[in-house]
Amino acid sequence: MVDNGGQWTHRIWRVVRDLGYETKIIDNTTPVAELDADALIFSGGAPRISWEAPKLGNCTDYLEHFEGPILGHCVGHQLIALYHGGKAGPADVPEFGLMKIRVIKDDPIFKGIPKTFTVWESHNDEVKSAPDFAILAESDNCKIQAFKHNKKPHYGFQFHPEVNNTEYGDTLIKNFIELA
Amino acid sequence: MFNSKKFIKEQTSYIKDLVTGNVISGLSGGVDSTTATIMVHKAIGKKLLCVLVDTGLMRKEEIKLNTAYLKKLGLRLVVIDAQKQFFRELKGVTDPEKKRKIIGKVFIQVFDKVAKQHKAQYLVQGTIAPDWIESGGGLRDTIKSHHNVGGLPKKMGLKLIEPLRDLYKDEVRMVGKAIGLPAAIYQRQPFPGPGLAIRVLGEVTPQRVAVVREACAIVETEIEAAVKNKLITKPWQYFAVLLPVKAVGVHGDIRAYNDIVVIRSVETLDGMSATYSRLPHDLLEAISVKITNHLKDDVSRVVYDVTNKPPGTVEYE
Repeated sequence: MVDNGGQWTHRIWRVVRDLGYETKIIDNTTPVAELDADALIFSGGAPRISWEAPKLGNCTDYLEHFEGPILGHCVGHQLIALYHGGKAGPADVPEFGLMKIRVIKDDPIFKGIPKTFTVWESHNDEVKSAPDFAILAESDNCKIQAFKHNKKPHYGFQFHPEVNNTEYGDTLIKNFIELA
Repeated sequence: MFNSKKFIKEQTSYIKDLVTGNVISGLSGGVDSTTATIMVHKAIGKKLLCVLVDTGLMRKEEIKLNTAYLKKLGLRLVVIDAQKQFFRELKGVTDPEKKRKIIGKVFIQVFDKVAKQHKAQYLVQGTIAPDWIESGGGLRDTIKSHHNVGGLPKKMGLKLIEPLRDLYKDEVRMVGKAIGLPAAIYQRQPFPGPGLAIRVLGEVTPQRVAVVREACAIVETEIEAAVKNKLITKPWQYFAVLLPVKAVGVHGDIRAYNDIVVIRSVETLDGMSATYSRLPHDLLEAISVKITNHLKDDVSRVVYDVTNKPPGTVEYE
């Protein structure tokens, strides 16, 4: 768990632990050479993607040098888009709390999950474009709710699977970890 | 999965090794502080002195009830009446963060004094994960300064023991149950450390606290009766909030212009995300009628909060 200062970083840790995996929260300033993991999850956080990306510490380094799967939540998702040449910025319609999302492209990360389900959101910013990605899910207000990079094992969720109110959140995180 | 038996074993042996000399515990009688205190008591026994502070901001009859059951648990307990001190420091303060910081400071002043008399170096607190998460620091934004974390003074003489720091409420309840607390305690609804001060929006005066205390008692009584009659399942947390704005009403053909009370009731696992409770209209109506009649000189209107978390939070300040 790479901590980007989210309210729910510790929740991700708890969900992963409860799924029975070994897990640890690390600061996002941890040098890439010190990473000792099979997979990384970037937490969300307060930093605004357009003008506070430096607060995301070494996350860009991890995307460059870490070989295993990476999943970004919220601002972590937005950073993954930027790193691969996409665009992110203030959302036209920010979303907070309950939202319905639709899966628009099949992917192993949605294994065992219906096409529409309820998620919990909390974002001021959003991904505007992600050219090298397969867009996997959308909501009425936000067209890029989930994506997967075309070559690298990099996934992003705009919503928060780690939150107890998100349906199938544990399954989503389990599906991601199984990719590792 | 979280293993409460293993957790209790590890924490009590850690505390046993850590502590030299006497320890005091700041406890309110809520789930978190009582569970933390019982764990420390298990580890070090008689070296622990428990301090229940009567802030003047507790619920109806709460100090009396809590004193009785904490003593029944075999704890060595002192009750300190600090009501005047809290109200004096809170006079004229309306900013929620200022309120929380003042309350944190006064708590520590009280604990410091007791620690000195008891020659204690350690303070036990029932801090849990949402307290430090929401208090912020570093990259994390401050949502609310919890009095026991973000509300602590910068200079602290006492060293903290916080065995529940990494747990959420549902896990604390498991620990409480495993350590042998009665169900009435480990299933209690949460009550915030700053007490009714953060349910009185705007200035905290003894008079306004008395109004919200009565309103909270009505909400609790009605909801608990509905639970007992199997009309609803017990909400996670349910209470009243006094707003700092007034609304017009009519009482016996005479104009009334009094405060507004909010009924708040939420469902959540861990307090970190929540939905408002789908309470039946008949129940909401019964609460509304009771509040507006019993508190007719102070409250002219009752509203129900339908905000989830996020974008809201459970409490108001």
